[in-house]
Amino acid sequence: MHGEYKVPGGKLVVVDLEVRDGRLDAVQVSGDFFLEPEQALDVINAALTGLPATADEDAIAAAVRTALGADVAMVGFSPEAVAVAARRALA
Amino acid sequence: MNAARSTWRDHAWRLIHADAQAPALHMALDEVLTDEVAADRRPPTLRVWEWAGPAVVIGRFQSLRNEVDADGAARHGIEVVRRITGGGAMFIEPGNTITYSIYAPLSMVAGMSFQEAYAHMDAWVIEALHALGIDARYQPLNDITAPAGKIAGAAQARRGGAVLHHVTMAYDIDAAKMMQVLRIGREKLSDKGIASAAKRVDPLRSQTGLPREAVIARMIDTFRHRHGLRADALRAGEIARAEALAAAKFADPAWTGVVP
Repeated sequence: MHGEYKVPGGKLVVVDLEVRDGRLDAVQVSGDFFLEPEQALDVINAALTGLPATADEDAIAAAVRTALGADVAMVGFSPEAVAVAARRALA
Repeated sequence: MNAARSTWRDHAWRLIHADAQAPALHMALDEVLTDEVAADRRPPTLRVWEWAGPAVVIGRFQSLRNEVDADGAARHGIEVVRRITGGGAMFIEPGNTITYSIYAPLSMVAGMSFQEAYAHMDAWVIEALHALGIDARYQPLNDITAPAGKIAGAAQARRGGAVLHHVTMAYDIDAAKMMQVLRIGREKLSDKGIASAAKRVDPLRSQTGLPREAVIARMIDTFRHRHGLRADALRAGEIARAEALAAAKFADPAWTGVVP
């Protein structure tokens, strides 16, 4: 399953995922955004993995925000943008 | 003004403009030279790239299969590499782009937003393009555009005590071939400055009327005039480290496919 979201004035966020037993699995977030440190991409993928497939945008964004912490720089996208792309993949 | 911020003229800028090098070596040189400047073993440096062969360069966080048509790339003999900065995919053929990197101390962008830092590192390029008759401006976050469309895309990464800022400018790109190797959705077409049936994307060639080498020479002159610049070369140790890193990381399918 595949979802894309172009942030207005920002970058493209893509989410590829599967649903297994009602939960997100094999989550891969990608795009032409900027993220520091680079290892934070794995943290975002892990934050989505295991969420219920029924989770709404607010819940998905909160999971990403909580997992990342304050020292991560997301440039051209946001936890909310990841959530929009994920919901589009699930739609 | 941030008291801890350094200016261009606070640094003794060096220029590296070597002969053509392989795509994976270019990726490695960016990592090695950024770390050399961060460790204060090399003065801040401007590097102008020459390409030994065609390449697709994808951003650190892009999906390999979503961005690259592997069959198309193989058919045209194009090497696919992943760089260490974010941003979008670039299609390179020797002579069709102008690519440069700036390795600067982090103090130059101290206190700046990312948006401010991009525009700051390329202010000299905007001046150079104006001198060449192009009404160029920075379009946040990381594009250089002119009224006729996009000219260049930039990417930055902050590593340790240094910032890497690199830019690829479209000199004369074969858009038909690019469409065979990059998977560019309709949403992104306008962002690439491509009209619907364009055969070439050639803003620097068509808008300056100058050979690529002359455009590069004018850009270097502008940098030297604004910021100071002395000719330099890669050191043996830098080349050796970059060659090892190119083989161990950037030519490894595991890195190219790290975001599958």
